[in-house]
Amino acid sequence: MIKLLGLEYYKIRRKKIGIMMILFLVVEMLWAFMSISRSIASNPDHAVWESVFFSISSMNGLFMPIMSAVVVSRICDMEHKGSTWKMLAATNVGRGRLYAAKYICTNSLILYGIGVQALFIMVIGLTKDFPGTLPSDLLFRFIGGTLLTTLAVAALQQWISFAIKNQAFALGLGMLGGFIGMTAGLFPAAIRHLFIWSYYLDLSPVTYRYAESASVYIVQPESVGIVLGSLIMTLLFYFVGNFHVSRQEI
Amino acid sequence: MSALAIVQTQNLSKTYGANNSVNKVDLRVQEGEIYGFLGPNGAGKTTTLKMLLGLIKPTEGTIHIFGENLSKHRPSILQRTGSLIESPSYYGHLTGLENMKVMQRLRNVPDKNVHEALRIVRLENQKNKKTEQYSLGMKQRLGIAMALLAFPKLLILDEPTNGLDPAGIGEIRELIKSLPERYGITVLLSSHLLSEIEQIATSVGIITQGNLLYQGSMASLRQKNRNAIFMKTGDNAKAEQLLLTQGYSPAQSGSRLELGTLQDTEVAEMNRLLVEHRIEVTRIEEQKKSLEDIFLELTGKGRSL
Repeated sequence: MIKLLGLEYYKIRRKKIGIMMILFLVVEMLWAFMSISRSIASNPDHAVWESVFFSISSMNGLFMPIMSAVVVSRICDMEHKGSTWKMLAATNVGRGRLYAAKYICTNSLILYGIGVQALFIMVIGLTKDFPGTLPSDLLFRFIGGTLLTTLAVAALQQWISFAIKNQAFALGLGMLGGFIGMTAGLFPAAIRHLFIWSYYLDLSPVTYRYAESASVYIVQPESVGIVLGSLIMTLLFYFVGNFHVSRQEI
Repeated sequence: MSALAIVQTQNLSKTYGANNSVNKVDLRVQEGEIYGFLGPNGAGKTTTLKMLLGLIKPTEGTIHIFGENLSKHRPSILQRTGSLIESPSYYGHLTGLENMKVMQRLRNVPDKNVHEALRIVRLENQKNKKTEQYSLGMKQRLGIAMALLAFPKLLILDEPTNGLDPAGIGEIRELIKSLPERYGITVLLSSHLLSEIEQIATSVGIITQGNLLYQGSMASLRQKNRNAIFMKTGDNAKAEQLLLTQGYSPAQSGSRLELGTLQDTEVAEMNRLLVEHRIEVTRIEEQKKSLEDIFLELTGKGRSL
């Protein structure tokens, strides 16, 4: 598997996936920075670590589904473009293993993006001089929650990107996910939990409570149900996608 | 030639809806052969080859390669099989050499194989160029190099000369012809061009509309390539009667009599006989049945190839 994973990294050279991700993250970080600065300017009580965790998590609802769709699409589309999936499938390496290598490769790239976000959280906290030290428990929960949601989103995207050659479908799904992720907070919980893209916010370590007097950031307890829901969706999307793609006639 | 069948199918069929793409095909490719799989476009060649590689699941029938059942020993069979199916496969953003390295990692072969395969298809000087900048012929060569990379026991090539210029076709033809002897590779190649198969193959299978119509050595196909004598007389019916009484086997063929393969002395004797019986002989012709005629007969006359 390590060899196959290495092969995936070898194949994506010159695809400029890293640069594309950085551009995405720069836009997101700039937006988050402006949002936090404005929030602190209007209410100095918002100058806390929790504000940056919440801002990034809520923006991830918009950015991560699109970024995941683009990354997965770039990695899968190269197999469609040069008819190389047929070539790979005609070797002695099982399609299931190739599918797994691609999935791990995709998620490792997105994990690198999440790492950049974590770094940004630290930098902004230090530059804005938030009180107290960096809450590492919140940081780990942020990384874990975002990664967990991404695992399911990437599994779904990989299935669609492989099964349908026209990548407009996969990218369209990513944009739809971004829209749902961005507006997730407006839906009732029962509906929201049906959509994986809303889990960026649901698995965020911090939530924002609107009150008449003063709105506040609150550390929300971990929800086992949400974590389980995310894991089940990951397994479902991955195994159904793998089963479908591995049995597709080429 | 060894009697060992490298590829053997039984009742191999593939059905899409009500359409039989491949219908009960019993393919038999023996070790060391260059087997030409010949048929018009849409005859079922590529579908059959894809089934041999496990890319398509047969609706019915069994496939044995190297004596092993494909459905049970697919990885072990594919490890010893190289292939180029339909259009060449390549990563356009990678160079020719990098594409070869991708296959090298999958096939687990040494560096020298990469350079040898590139040398064989004459792509050494273009190996550092991105494949998206390659011409169709160069992509085809790269596809062949990737199929050859592990110097497999069985090489399956689907229309390998597609997109090549005449010089390139000649080179690839010579390369394929040398493979069994030089590297011990058994070659199964498909084509819709009779002339191509005729020049390369030692055995041939002719398929049309999913049905395998002929399978055998090229030599036995050529034996069908016989001459026939045709004669036109003033009274064909009377001439036929006369010749029948003399032990010949004439048959009416349009405005002529077909007399089959005859020696020169037999033709002279026949002519003398007819003239003596006051039957005018107006024309004696020898007609050769070409492989193309045989192929057209088998696949259906007038059909586009």
